[in-house]
Amino acid sequence: MNESANDIGAQFYATQLGVYDEMVAKERKVLPYWERFMDAIATLGSEQLELRRREAQRLLRENGVTYNVYGDTQKLTRPWRLDPVPLLISSEDWSLIEAGLKQRAELLNLILKDIYGKQQLLKKGLLPNELVLAHDGFLHPCVGALPQLQRELIVYSANLARGHNGRMLVLDDRSQAPSGAGYALENRTVMTRVLTDIFRETQVHRLSGFFKALRKGLADIAPHNKEDPRIVILTPGSLNETYFEHAYLSSYLGFSLVQGDDLTVRDGRVWLKSLDGLQPVDVILRRVDDSFCDPLELRSASRLGVAGLLEAVRRNNVAIANPLGSSVLENPGLLAFLPRLARYFLNQELILPSVATWWCGQRRERDFVLQNLDRLIIKPINRNSGNYVLFGGQLSAREKDLLRAAIIAKPHCYVGQEQVSFSTVPSFIDRHIEPRFAVIRSFAVASGGDYQVMPGGLTRIARQQDDFIVSNQAGGISKDTWVLADEPDKQVSLWFQPGRDVVLSATAEPLTSRAANNLFWVGRYLERIKAATRLMRTILLKLAETLELNDPLDSQCLTVLLSALTQVTGTYPGFVTSNASVLKEPQHELLALAKNVQRSGTLAANIQAFAQTAFSIRDVWSQDTWRCVDNIQRRWQQRVVNGDCDPEQLQKHLDDLITGFVAFIGLTTESMTREAGWLMLDSGRRLEHALALIALLRATVVQRHEPALQNQMLEAVLISTDSLSIYRRRYRSFIKLPMVLELLLMDETHPRSLAYQLHQLSDHLSALPRERGKGQLSEEERLILRAYTDLRLVKVSELVNAADDDGVYSELESVLSAMTELLWQLYEVLAQAYFSHSQVPQLMTPTQPEDDL
Amino acid sequence: MKYRITHRTLYQYSQLVGLCQNEARLQPRDFWRQQCQTSRFDISPEPGDFHERQDFFGNRVAYFAIQQAHQRLVVTAISEVTVFPRQNRDDLANLITWEQVREQLQGGPTQTQSQSQGHYQQQTNVDELLDAKLFVLDSPMVVAGIELANYAQNSFSPNRPLVQVVTDLMQRIHSDFTYDPSSTTIATPLSEVLQFRRGVCQDFAHLAIGCLRSFGIAARYVSGYVETLPEPGKPRLVGADASHAWFAVYVPGSGWLEFDPTNNAVPFDQHITLAWGRDYTDVTPLKGIAFGGGQHTLSVSVDVLRLE
Repeated sequence: MNESANDIGAQFYATQLGVYDEMVAKERKVLPYWERFMDAIATLGSEQLELRRREAQRLLRENGVTYNVYGDTQKLTRPWRLDPVPLLISSEDWSLIEAGLKQRAELLNLILKDIYGKQQLLKKGLLPNELVLAHDGFLHPCVGALPQLQRELIVYSANLARGHNGRMLVLDDRSQAPSGAGYALENRTVMTRVLTDIFRETQVHRLSGFFKALRKGLADIAPHNKEDPRIVILTPGSLNETYFEHAYLSSYLGFSLVQGDDLTVRDGRVWLKSLDGLQPVDVILRRVDDSFCDPLELRSASRLGVAGLLEAVRRNNVAIANPLGSSVLENPGLLAFLPRLARYFLNQELILPSVATWWCGQRRERDFVLQNLDRLIIKPINRNSGNYVLFGGQLSAREKDLLRAAIIAKPHCYVGQEQVSFSTVPSFIDRHIEPRFAVIRSFAVASGGDYQVMPGGLTRIARQQDDFIVSNQAGGISKDTWVLADEPDKQVSLWFQPGRDVVLSATAEPLTSRAANNLFWVGRYLERIKAATRLMRTILLKLAETLELNDPLDSQCLTVLLSALTQVTGTYPGFVTSNASVLKEPQHELLALAKNVQRSGTLAANIQAFAQTAFSIRDVWSQDTWRCVDNIQRRWQQRVVNGDCDPEQLQKHLDDLITGFVAFIGLTTESMTREAGWLMLDSGRRLEHALALIALLRATVVQRHEPALQNQMLEAVLISTDSLSIYRRRYRSFIKLPMVLELLLMDETHPRSLAYQLHQLSDHLSALPRERGKGQLSEEERLILRAYTDLRLVKVSELVNAADDDGVYSELESVLSAMTELLWQLYEVLAQAYFSHSQVPQLMTPTQPEDDL
Repeated sequence: MKYRITHRTLYQYSQLVGLCQNEARLQPRDFWRQQCQTSRFDISPEPGDFHERQDFFGNRVAYFAIQQAHQRLVVTAISEVTVFPRQNRDDLANLITWEQVREQLQGGPTQTQSQSQGHYQQQTNVDELLDAKLFVLDSPMVVAGIELANYAQNSFSPNRPLVQVVTDLMQRIHSDFTYDPSSTTIATPLSEVLQFRRGVCQDFAHLAIGCLRSFGIAARYVSGYVETLPEPGKPRLVGADASHAWFAVYVPGSGWLEFDPTNNAVPFDQHITLAWGRDYTDVTPLKGIAFGGGQHTLSVSVDVLRLE
């Protein structure tokens, strides 16, 4: 092996003096378990490790692992970054960490119960009143609303880091809706694929047991239906920074992913609005901050919550993990009191100490903080009050004065914290192994009478060498965390229930009306894009011919097709213009229709809408299907929107786009069960297909043309509806308008025809769940039946009998426009019946009191 | 003094409302100078779900949901209340200075407890003091700050008894500020009220509370009604009354003393209390979330009738 191949061995690793490093520890000698791992990657060599790293990135992006960055106007999602070198933790080290986390979870649980219960801590002076009551996480409507479980704090997470002396510290506690467990699992999944051999040879604790405990823990707190509770994950939606994880956990755990408007409270119970009607909800795993969860009793402006939720909690009809109000524990001031409270409640010392914290609500502590501003980190106890973390040493004299004044004015609102230097961990950066500061996010869940700690976690490192800011928002890198086992772990299947050898009846998770709406629109966008793509492709061909042959007939035909493109895509004025130069040199506008994301109706805009709508129901797609969506959007973005693409290349990209959509349709047809979800997707497609076809015909053949032009036009129409070869096979003759209409409107065996779309739509609609009277048709069934019958009653020969004085086949036009009208009505009715979650909530607060004077 | 209060709220919508959830704090609470004999709701359409409870501050809350489609909602609360005309001259003569009160409110419970061990009466004082601490802190609509402190400064002369400070503050607000229902809405921030020197009872109560909190004094918001007497020689108009708001301040030894800056008066037997909290957001008489409905209009009528 040559020198360069193993230049990533431990001997090339340069640690910093005075900083504890995970690999060399206090003795500054490579620990044996790290040595084995480093030898293994040195054998791989840096080139190979780089390839593995890229493979990991590829897998992550194809699985749609993203992290949304707030404040990004483009709403861009940032791909998740994973370092192929994991953090290794010995089993000895881990048992201490595990015990520490369990103890902390128990302690915080007791504090939570007390604050929302008897408040003995406040009454006895063990916790200062203003520390708890001035924290935004203290929600007084939640006092007395805890369900009286032994453990109210269900999921717990802590950020850990090792200090310079090698001791593990807790930086902060996460108690309201901790994120990261799903990312940790996905990191592990990818690592086992890219470092298969090394992973197999290293005995690493598996993560699945934790998720099994999570499922059990959540099922245990259900107040009703304990045998088979309905558990949902409440997400703020696809713009949330960790939305990927919400969708990922929902598919992994088998829970419905819902937004606030998917739920409703009636009779003091929480219900899921689904296509099959209201379904009772027993447990909510929430990812919405607690104050946003109930606009009636908590933050009234919130659109993310469910009105009446807290009342349902109070009546013990639903359990929420973590309970509303639990963010009161995410108060940095609390850290200063934990040792005392551990002694009070548990008669124990803290196993894992917190980072040293001084709460300024006490005079002595405040004075200390004011005197040591330079070497402390200052945090307000409430995270939302402007600047979150201030490094005292980095402030100007004026900023320091302002901060001092703010602390003196409301001392109870601030803490000072020691600036800890974290330990470093070997990381693969630019093909070298370099030390980076690391923070570990760990997880615990209350399950089966105890807290279960995830053996592992989400490790994050800063990208730059001396950077202490380790966060995803700041663009950090993540690592898998390998907790080493003494013996190999058994794989635990999430779904295996020992001793239950019975066939369970299959139950379909109900489709929420929001998901139904999104599926429907995914179908509509898809057909909208396909129609525009096919027409644009036909136009590009015609354009090439025109330029080459210079035949006036070609250019007349092109003019009609261009204006049809504007009409079909609704991108006026476009080619419907008196400006001759636009028509003479159509390339510019054509490229704009492909590239411009800002303009509605363009391919780029519709592709983005398609992908975003699909992303907002990420949980309904299989891995392969999602990869397909991602490919479509990413390629278009790279090659067309950001690429330097000319009309010739555009032709090729349009071909690829069609292929991408064909794959998507194939996959959904293959992998989706023929239930409400698929029916919605396909109904959206059929409706849009019908509308696009009608629009094309109205823009091309309703106007009568000279026979030669007519012939060219019809050919173009057949090409852009993918029907030319079938026409030739079927009619073996010249292309004539009546036969083209026969094929495109009436032929039910032809999947591109209007009759076919209406027939399918009619089948789907009658299969959808809907309350209707016996033998009675629903409104949407009535409409589709009318559309279908009207079409069947058409005699094609009469449609094209004679054109009126303006050269318009007015009969054809009136049939087509009446059809459009009916289909629009149909959409309205469907939206009313199935997507009614869109009913907008409004706040009814009386005007302020008027006085009597 | 005994009163019957009828508080009627009417919502009308341009479109159907499929569901609405509401919280009403329209039933007078009991406390030392008031007792509520009866209190009932008349709600149309009839709520499918109705529950009463006490909130964190001890106020009476009714949660109700209208679960059928409707285009009109009428909520009427009818209560009979006796207000006792107890004298509070002793309280108004309480000489404890505002600095002493601030000191007590800043102390931890352990210190105060050790001073008062064994005495039941003092123990209640300790609990009261502990509860009062919440009302020194900022709340959603009242955030203490330098502007408020500057305005209040003149009333807080050194070693002045707190009761005198508050009385002076109430008088100053009454004379410095113009009562003007057109000037503010529920959302008008205190800084604007302070700047334009205009507002309504809610603003004046918030203003006084903010001033007191800026000096470390506990103050709370009181929502209720005040009896109005017809002009001499004119008949009493039914339903012409309105909701009212004032504030109370915690004075150790006396408890919570009430002040009405809008009328520059110490509530006696014509102020009927509904509920109290940190500010208006804690005691909104009626709030709700409606699904659908389009545009809504609202009308409120209040009638305060003296029975005996």
